[in-house]
Amino acid sequence: MTPPSEQPHAAHGDDGHGHTGSPFIQHHYDDAQHQFDAGKLGIWIFLAQEVLFFSALFVAYILYRFHHPEIYSYAHKYLDVNMGAINTAVLIFSSLTAAWAVRAAQLGQRKLLIACLAGTLLCALTFLGVKYVEYSHKIHEHILFGARFDPCVSSGGIPLLTKNNECPGHKSSILWDAESAKPVQGCFADVGVDTDLRKPGVQADCEVSETTIEIKKDAAGNIEKDKKTGKWVIEPKASKPIPKACPPLSLHDEHRHDASNYPCWRAAAQPAVCRPGWFYTLRCTAGSCAPGGKASFVTSDSFKDRAECIDGRSTKDKELKNVVKGEEDKKVSPLTTYEISDCTRSDQVGIIVEYGDHEERPEEVIVTATCKAPPKAVATPNLSDLDTELVLGKKAIDPQTPVTTHDAHELEAMGPPPDNTGMFFTIYFAMTGLHGIHVLFGVFVFIWLLIRAIKGQFTPDYFGPVDFAALYWHIVDLIWIFLFPLLYLIH
Amino acid sequence: MASSEHHDEHGISHVASVKVLVGTGGALLMLTLVTVLATRVDFGANINLAVAMAIAVVKATLVILFFMHLKYDKLFHSVIFVSALLAAALFVGFTLMDSGQYQETNIWHPDSPPLAPFGPRPTSG
Repeated sequence: MTPPSEQPHAAHGDDGHGHTGSPFIQHHYDDAQHQFDAGKLGIWIFLAQEVLFFSALFVAYILYRFHHPEIYSYAHKYLDVNMGAINTAVLIFSSLTAAWAVRAAQLGQRKLLIACLAGTLLCALTFLGVKYVEYSHKIHEHILFGARFDPCVSSGGIPLLTKNNECPGHKSSILWDAESAKPVQGCFADVGVDTDLRKPGVQADCEVSETTIEIKKDAAGNIEKDKKTGKWVIEPKASKPIPKACPPLSLHDEHRHDASNYPCWRAAAQPAVCRPGWFYTLRCTAGSCAPGGKASFVTSDSFKDRAECIDGRSTKDKELKNVVKGEEDKKVSPLTTYEISDCTRSDQVGIIVEYGDHEERPEEVIVTATCKAPPKAVATPNLSDLDTELVLGKKAIDPQTPVTTHDAHELEAMGPPPDNTGMFFTIYFAMTGLHGIHVLFGVFVFIWLLIRAIKGQFTPDYFGPVDFAALYWHIVDLIWIFLFPLLYLIH
Repeated sequence: MASSEHHDEHGISHVASVKVLVGTGGALLMLTLVTVLATRVDFGANINLAVAMAIAVVKATLVILFFMHLKYDKLFHSVIFVSALLAAALFVGFTLMDSGQYQETNIWHPDSPPLAPFGPRPTSG
């Protein structure tokens, strides 16, 4: 369909072949009709191929929907029907302008042809613009294909904690409990605001303070250890209390980052938090206290025994070694830094300290929390074995976003994503992606047609390219007519 | 331009009238609205799906017949296109007939590894 050079026809203009009119009628055709018919047959065969091409993806869709309807009825809520409907209307309108462009070309209405082609082009670009908005939102929120489906928001737009905890900004602390199908708390160090804590009677009664410490080092720079206990020699310096001043949070609290409210602390755990006599120390290291730093914690050498109180599960040595990241990684040592890699139990403990002033704390700051009263709802544990100081550390404690009760209910009503929900998005991206590539190709075709139309190259006896491109465009529209209800309009 | 009627009858191919084009476009937009609204009414999942697909088929037919001129085009072009649709239908049909043989789990997960192709799942020790 490349425009033939005009020279041969100029030379052969009246060679007895009967070629008159458009210089684009090629020499080897009998006449304009012959050339048009050949092109039309070609484009129809191409369109038949396109149907078969897309049918593979439709088979994948149908098969997977047949087997896993629950995935479709859950995952389609992540798609915005309005966006899909707008794009459907845009494509239908562009099909109309494309069909009208053919008519204008057939009748030699050059200005109308240009207007129709420009309109089609504009619609194609609009379609791609809407697609860009949709795709970028999904990429940003990790609503992706296959195993990469790890959404940062629910389909209702409520923030979620992802499996990889790599969402932008500060997200809420919801993880799904696979068995109870209810939202449960996330990891203490990473997240841990429990909505229950805002109910009266469950609030922990704690004193939280921030102490600057110095880790003693010898001349060679090695950390000094106590000869008897083997613990690091730590010298506390200045200490100041942290007020319990974090304002009650809601998802859309604009003042959440108001520096005047920070630093502050609030209890962040299930009702098991802050049993009498327990100490929870949250430690900051340099450069990490600004929101967004990565969480880790520091333990005392009795960490092994106390593991259960950290995240509510017993930690075997093997597991412990896996998470050791800092210095002295063979033995559990004082102030060893661990990265919490797997905490999913709901009965976790912790105090959240927020540094909303965004100021970085020096390397050696320990935040200590001493909690006095147990929550009323919880049976008092045996205190005799709870006398060891437990030092937890946390490089950064992000201001957390708890779910409001209403949000929690909404999430519960919706339930957790079914297994393999990502497969919906695999199919979604494959189908809409392939379709989008076709639209993109259409954009180039219509730019080319527009240029030729402006040059006045299309005449009533030569308009094949407009007709064929319009047919291609109608097939693209046709496929979207099916994609829209299949992907966006699942009941 | 003055000779548009002439082209309608003797041109290289059929010229769609403005009435047909605008009518088709309008009908397509209306049907889009209808299909969106129909989703909001609960007829039961299967009937909702059937309604949506029926509307999509009507829309597709309108596009093919009028925008793509197949109604006025050579029969052979219809034969080509319908053959492709039949081939796609065979593709879907035969795959669905076979689908009972597939494993439920298509993505491997440590908690639920796919079953061994033959024999029972080994008991974990």
